Amino acid sequence: MLVVENLVVRYGPITAVRGVSIEVGAGETVALLGPNGAGKTSIVSAVIGLVPSTGRVSFDGRDVSNLSPEERVRAAMTVVPEGRRVFANLTVAENLRLGGFVRRRERDQDGERDRYLAMFPVLRERLDQLAGTLSGGEQQMLAIARAMMSKPRLLILDEPSLGLAPRIVARIFEHIVELKKSGITIVLVEQNMMQALAVADRAYVLSTGTIRHAGPAAELRADPRLADLAIGGH
Amino acid sequence: MAPAQSPAAPMPADRSMPPLLRSILGGLVVAVPVVVIGVLILWLAPPYQVRIAFAGYVNLVIVVGLQIFMGNANIGNFGHSAFVGVGAYFVAILATPLAAKKLSIPNAPFGLSQVVLDPIVAAVVALGIVGVLALLTGFIISRLSGIAASIVTLSLLIISHGVFINYTDLFKGAQAFFGIPVVIGLPTAIAVAVAAIVVARVFRDSQDGVQLRASADDVLAARAFGVDVVKLRFKAWVLSALVCGAAGIMYAYFMGAVIARAFFFQQVFLTLAMLILGGMRTVSGAVVGCAILSIGLEAIRSLESGATIMGVKLPEMLGLSGLSLGAVIVLGMAFRPNGLMGRLELDELAAGWLRRLRRS
Repeated sequence: MLVVENLVVRYGPITAVRGVSIEVGAGETVALLGPNGAGKTSIVSAVIGLVPSTGRVSFDGRDVSNLSPEERVRAAMTVVPEGRRVFANLTVAENLRLGGFVRRRERDQDGERDRYLAMFPVLRERLDQLAGTLSGGEQQMLAIARAMMSKPRLLILDEPSLGLAPRIVARIFEHIVELKKSGITIVLVEQNMMQALAVADRAYVLSTGTIRHAGPAAELRADPRLADLAIGGH
Repeated sequence: MAPAQSPAAPMPADRSMPPLLRSILGGLVVAVPVVVIGVLILWLAPPYQVRIAFAGYVNLVIVVGLQIFMGNANIGNFGHSAFVGVGAYFVAILATPLAAKKLSIPNAPFGLSQVVLDPIVAAVVALGIVGVLALLTGFIISRLSGIAASIVTLSLLIISHGVFINYTDLFKGAQAFFGIPVVIGLPTAIAVAVAAIVVARVFRDSQDGVQLRASADDVLAARAFGVDVVKLRFKAWVLSALVCGAAGIMYAYFMGAVIARAFFFQQVFLTLAMLILGGMRTVSGAVVGCAILSIGLEAIRSLESGATIMGVKLPEMLGLSGLSLGAVIVLGMAFRPNGLMGRLELDELAAGWLRRLRRS
């Protein structure tokens, strides 16, 4: 479904991603793992078109490398950005509406919204609250629900555990498993290696902008070399 | 975690109603005090106060127009008075009778000194000219953010003033352009203000409005949700300009004369102060800020000339109104950056009160 070939991302003189190639099949959950500065978020930003890059990004067999972020999102690729990035001055309801605007008319949104409010009941209680006043865990739930409102076929979750308490992280990962069961294709970007590998089918392990290891999640979990990269450890 | 309403959060809205109808009704609720105050003035006030009130309603339409772009895109705008001026001048040029034009602009280009249009047709054409200028300038401004965009809007104001002052054949320079037919009164101004409020509210609550406000929060995150920020800023800019242009047309058709200095820094600062005081995030903020400053400044102006209060003759305090405007901007920005209304519209506030009242 998603094919990234020889992706290079540069920020001025710094090369953040050095010729990375990734494949994600339909319905798969694939983890991108690595420590800070490994280039994970740069890959996500390049895939969604938010930073300039070279190489080729294909989605559903179509080359999307030259499409704008808006066009890629309309093609059903959606990202839950690192740090949640909910729209703090909009209400929870408005954040959800905004997710839904991508691919459907407003009157068709209600059913979809009810589905994700059932998944994250705490959001139902806070529909008219400013998103910026939610706790970190609630913001993450909102960010995921907002992304799902766009009815994506590829959901990219960029560090969903970042800055959250372990109890909340566990709940967020339960929701990710739930989404996985629904059949959606997921790219899970994480530093929290063991937790991500427990959810993913396959994984790529990155360091300093290159892929160091790749393979089925179960094999990588047992691979002692991963400990050397000092990622996660949870 | 217990559900906690933030102090800034409104009470839940009625979600059973179609969104467009909800926005229109919300706008009409916001417009209620505007209508009530207007009717009271028409009923009770002497003619000179009606004239002052009319100026207040013109300012209200300008501030609402300003809110459409500045409040939703969160980009400082100093150029809106240019569109007020263009609207006012073009109805003056197009609707003024020939006899008055012979005195005002005998050498107008394109044979405009010989053209007289019906006031309504002239208003439509003037609004069209405002729209064309907004399309041209919006093409640039919508691609800019932050200080760069604000500086361009400031340049727009200075360019327009320069043209009004120096293109004397068409705009009569620094002198007043008089003889414009006086065809409207306060009731029309109230109706235009209500229409502007409803339009601004519908835009704010619309898909475009929500997406534009999201982009004001976080441009990158908004783009990641398919928000075409440039297109939305462009739309808001053009709509804002048209509302400001309508205010200029009202001004010309009530005052019967226009002068370039009326559309320069003083008007810009006055209307900006109104929006900052009330809160630029809501249409209600525009209304509240305009009402408070209009009434407050009239009170201050009466003090400027040396009023007598309880037998005590106060000295002349010329410039007190200007000082007060500056103070409102500085204190508002420092202590209440979201304005008096914060992010609450009046109808949301009223709904919250009613709900609490029912519960208690």
